Amino acid sequence: MLRNPFEDWGFALWRVLLVAGLGALVGLFVGRLWWGIAGALAIELARQLANLNDFLDWMRRRNRRDPPDSGGRWGDAVSLVSRLHRRKQFHKQRILRLFRELRRSTASMPDGVVALNADREILWFNRKAAELLGLRRKTDFGINLASLLRVPEFARYLEKGEFSSSLRIKPRIGEPTCLEFQGAPYGEGQLFLLVRDVTRQAQLETMRKDFVANASHELRSPLTVIAGYLETLSLGDDLPEDLRVPIQEMRRQSDRMTAIVSDLLELSRLEASDEQVLGQPIDVAALLAVLRKDLVTRDVGKHEVSVSIEAPDGLMGDIGLIHSAFWNLADNAAKYTPAGGKIELRWWVDELGGHFAVIDTGPGISPEHLPRLTERFYRVDPGRARDTGGSGLGLAIVRYVLQRHGAELRIESEEGQGSTFACHFPRTRLVREPVALTDDSGYSPIIGD
Amino acid sequence: MDTIERSQHISRRFNEDLERVRSQVLNMGGFVEQQLAKAVSALVEGDSTLGETVARDDFEVNRMEVSIDEECSRILATRAPAASDLRLIVAIIKAITDLERMGDECEKIGYIASRLATQERPADKYREIKHLGRVVQNIVHDSLDAFARMDAEAALKVARQDRLVDEEYEAIQRQSITFMMEDPRNIRRTLDVMWVVRALERIGDHAKNICEYVIFMVYGKDIRHVKLEDVESQLAQRGAKN
Repeated sequence: MLRNPFEDWGFALWRVLLVAGLGALVGLFVGRLWWGIAGALAIELARQLANLNDFLDWMRRRNRRDPPDSGGRWGDAVSLVSRLHRRKQFHKQRILRLFRELRRSTASMPDGVVALNADREILWFNRKAAELLGLRRKTDFGINLASLLRVPEFARYLEKGEFSSSLRIKPRIGEPTCLEFQGAPYGEGQLFLLVRDVTRQAQLETMRKDFVANASHELRSPLTVIAGYLETLSLGDDLPEDLRVPIQEMRRQSDRMTAIVSDLLELSRLEASDEQVLGQPIDVAALLAVLRKDLVTRDVGKHEVSVSIEAPDGLMGDIGLIHSAFWNLADNAAKYTPAGGKIELRWWVDELGGHFAVIDTGPGISPEHLPRLTERFYRVDPGRARDTGGSGLGLAIVRYVLQRHGAELRIESEEGQGSTFACHFPRTRLVREPVALTDDSGYSPIIGD
Repeated sequence: MDTIERSQHISRRFNEDLERVRSQVLNMGGFVEQQLAKAVSALVEGDSTLGETVARDDFEVNRMEVSIDEECSRILATRAPAASDLRLIVAIIKAITDLERMGDECEKIGYIASRLATQERPADKYREIKHLGRVVQNIVHDSLDAFARMDAEAALKVARQDRLVDEEYEAIQRQSITFMMEDPRNIRRTLDVMWVVRALERIGDHAKNICEYVIFMVYGKDIRHVKLEDVESQLAQRGAKN
């Protein structure tokens, strides 16, 4: 600990006075009082200057020299400085060690990491990132990352600054390499970018899609033949009585299989592209009226189906796809709602966008099933589902259709209370004045009750 | 040595302007690279829609060229850059012209690809084009990398690779001539294919030009119309002096 500075200060002052006194004594002795005092003070000053010189010398080459051995105030200064120096050295070592540790650990990470500043220039990257993106140490710091990885989608991803989703790109067209990027903003506009090699996953996914598309395509032609013969057989009069029922059942099952296969084909068509559908303006009110009519004519008197249109707005979309999505939802409600139940088709618009909902009074779905409901062939009750005759692909189709319209599906349900399947469309999809519809596919939802 | 001092500007805005226009050029380069890859794959795979898409999207390249050109004029007028900044702007103005021409060649390939897609595809022919396309794509990619990094050594290396393209071009030409002599019914299609090969060769030349601008930017030395060996020895001398 430092000694009390006041004591020391006093001591130093006394020392100067003592030196002056000694000088005075010597001065008196030789008969020149003032010369004596001045000489003594000059010697003292020279000593202080020499100490200062030592001190500065040591400060300059602190690491290689021992501290000067000067007493008094200078000694205090030296010990204070060397203590500060030691402490700084200690912290520096610790930070350096930590930094080295950090660098080594990120180097061993299986994913690439790149840190970018607010101008998207490279601040730092780890070894894996260098390998995946072809970056070079030393030369590439400070270069805009989008200038080195010149894929237009990537530049757009960085520019948009919306990092809630990841981006998957193929950096070189014609090569299978596929990279996934996930940005994480930090600090004042800086960005942490994670890079992963997802080539294998992308290949598997393509293989799966291709397989489903090819398999359903190949299944279709034999099925058509089987269904055709079964139909001829069942219509013939010369059919033995004991074969009538089995053939009817075979016909029903082959119809079901045809439905599944065509749903699978539609799904793989939808999956083939991620691009948003432009489409044309759809008169939602007319579409819902048609859906209601179809439901009512199919299951006469089974449910009470109501339509409530709360906004005049129409919807921009592909009429064929939207019809199939809405019909799937309405059809599901009809299938799972017991006779005497109510089904409501509702369309409304608020500041978030347009919403279509199918509300039923069916048995409801328990919460653990909700997240998996849109998976292919997922069944809440595997035993019961087959007799409803669905393909198990309806909700998956709905999800893909909505995805390609920038919309999302939300399901709310409580067991015993019924369910609500709602489609939420962004505002950009709304049209003020829907045009009366006819379209290329020959489908025209025009009210005809 | 091979990076230009870009940090010592009194005006921070000026620096930002330069950086922005530079990254715009590389954006444009990235788009052209994509167009080239798509055009070659449209031809090789016989995908007529992809070919049409490439031909249609060329307007995007033109739009980028105009906007970068305007930006450069603005910088020249308002900032009056000097020394390395001036060289950067001059190099950019030249490079975007080359990029735009590359875009035009891609458009041509895309157009021919969509036309050839309707015809019978020869079993072996397009393999040559695929290979040449790969070489040219690499050259374009590396030249733009050199531009982004201001790496004169890499630029020189890429410029030397252009000879590879020329050799490949010769080989395909000779092969095509034999092909046409064997069966005159092939002439029409082979001529179309020759257009594509020619376009690819031109794209390689434009990439080489970009490399020359990189060297101009870094050393302030114009190496157009000079033999590459001479350039190398001159640059080596310079390197020794510094």
